Amino acid sequence: MRKVIINDPTLRDGSHAIRHQLTAEQIALYCSAADKAGVPIVEVGHGNGAGASSLQLGESLLSDEVMLSIARNHLKTSKLGIHIIPGFATIERDLSKAIDLGVDVIRVASHCTEADITERHIGYARRRGKEVYGVLMMTHMASKEVLAEEALKMESYGAEGIMLMDSAGAYLPSDVSEKIGVLVNKLNIPVGFHAHNNLGLSIANSLAALEAGAIMLDGCARGFGAGAGNAPIEVLVAVLQKIGYDTGIDLYSILDAADLAEKKILKEIPSIQSTSVVSGLAGVFSGFSIHVNRVAQSYAVDPRDIFFELGRRQVVAGQEDIIIEVASELAAKRGV
Amino acid sequence: MLSERAYDFGLKAPHLVNRRDITLLTKDIAGVIDLPAEITMIIHAAGSPDNRLHASDPLKVMRTITMGTEALLSSASRLPNLSKILNISSGLIYGSRNTDSREFNSCGQESFSFNNAYIEAKRYAETLCSVYGNQYKLNIINIRPYAFVGPYQLVDRPWAINNFIGDYLNDCPIRILGDGETVRSYMYPSDMSLWILKLLADGHAGQSYNLGNPTPITLKSLAEKIASAMHKKLPVQVKYYQDHSLRNSRFVPDVSKAHNELGLKVTVEIDEALEHTLLWNLSQYNSVKN
Repeated sequence: MRKVIINDPTLRDGSHAIRHQLTAEQIALYCSAADKAGVPIVEVGHGNGAGASSLQLGESLLSDEVMLSIARNHLKTSKLGIHIIPGFATIERDLSKAIDLGVDVIRVASHCTEADITERHIGYARRRGKEVYGVLMMTHMASKEVLAEEALKMESYGAEGIMLMDSAGAYLPSDVSEKIGVLVNKLNIPVGFHAHNNLGLSIANSLAALEAGAIMLDGCARGFGAGAGNAPIEVLVAVLQKIGYDTGIDLYSILDAADLAEKKILKEIPSIQSTSVVSGLAGVFSGFSIHVNRVAQSYAVDPRDIFFELGRRQVVAGQEDIIIEVASELAAKRGV
Repeated sequence: MLSERAYDFGLKAPHLVNRRDITLLTKDIAGVIDLPAEITMIIHAAGSPDNRLHASDPLKVMRTITMGTEALLSSASRLPNLSKILNISSGLIYGSRNTDSREFNSCGQESFSFNNAYIEAKRYAETLCSVYGNQYKLNIINIRPYAFVGPYQLVDRPWAINNFIGDYLNDCPIRILGDGETVRSYMYPSDMSLWILKLLADGHAGQSYNLGNPTPITLKSLAEKIASAMHKKLPVQVKYYQDHSLRNSRFVPDVSKAHNELGLKVTVEIDEALEHTLLWNLSQYNSVKN
């Protein structure tokens, strides 16, 4: 039976959906539930990763230190993972401290064409003896050839696997097959896929990734994640079980974990809102949804127009301030 | 010693820099015009084998190797007392996969790839050496190094053996990516230094020699040796995720030419090399921790 490694970023990507306001109780409860289910890796932190809590990206309720300490205390068999983006996370302030707190898995992420910035972070984590993966975000914005080159850089820096993120939920299964297939052929390390559900294809795209040779998938409880959410882990595990993949995760326990998440963490279950569909079509980071909806209301403009304009400008995470600029320009045009 | 970062070298090795027979020249090899007239022999080793640099800044890698070699050879051609040049190329020029170096037939690389910058530049540098040797009657010997292990080689280097040593120092499981059947061989620096000096002194101009240890070892065997070195009993994790057999590479030199022509032999085999290397790394690691 072919094995699949599931990483669960409910307590990281899901932070986007509640403006990074995870409480100590929520972290403790979900970690215990995921641990009981046998989830291999549980990722915890601010939506944009360790060190990203800020006025621009949204301030976390709890510090990284507190979140990781609580998670560490409630994970007995599951590995504790973090997502870090060099620039938001520094080695001294964030990565070193996270490793000291007992993090097992570090996923170092960059925009899909900027793998160069991950070298020092990947190298540091490897030197500290940790399991390290490279993550390419917003991968719909780059060709398969460029993605392969960027992934090869991460491999050369010491990454033990590469995750492709469909951060905007923009992919069709054929896109996933094509891009994952190229990486599987070019790299000597495993490849994985992180789906978003803007176009309702998170599970289908995850399966396409597996069929193309990926062996790692991300899934969140009830799809709890930015925008329309991610691939729901409980559905992913069930489907993989039905097809005959071995995730090592107990189905009933992960269903319980998802029920718990719905009851204790989610303010609302992620759904494919109109703006999520547009976000996927425009190829804009799913995490922008909350900000776009808020700004659209302030400027009395259609949030869908904002998304399409952001897509035209090829805006990426970290450029949230451009939302206001776009809304203001749209409002001015309408005034004319 | 001429290097763009000669000053940094001085900081790392003051015991060498302060010797009266060593002079540091801080220059970019690609910008060299005139060399000191008293030079009689040159070892040309410019160009980093670090594949992280090859991935991040392939243009710089190519520039250093190609323009650097040309600038050096042009300057060397004007030296009045020069007797020999040793060009340090790379065993990778045979192609990175399934290479046993018995013959140089096809490159085995995808030529249109930034990832080949180092290898293609090294091939070009070898050709440049051949051309300068022919046109300017320079005595140039070409050597193709393979893999090495020893003290002063930092554990953050991006090769399997360095990762294994890093895991060893951290008391972590030794992690192998793949099925562990990739084959390598490792030469200890004392042998490497001796071979380089011997080749410089007695090697035949216009010839290429492989430099390395001809005794192969699989990464799995290597990891097991490191995991159990000096009374430790660390687990070895083979992170096998798919049929890896087609990806396993062999990077082992045929050194019969150096042996037959110059009598060169390997004197430090892998067990002894590992012991020295681990002891040195442990001393460094402990001094940092304390």
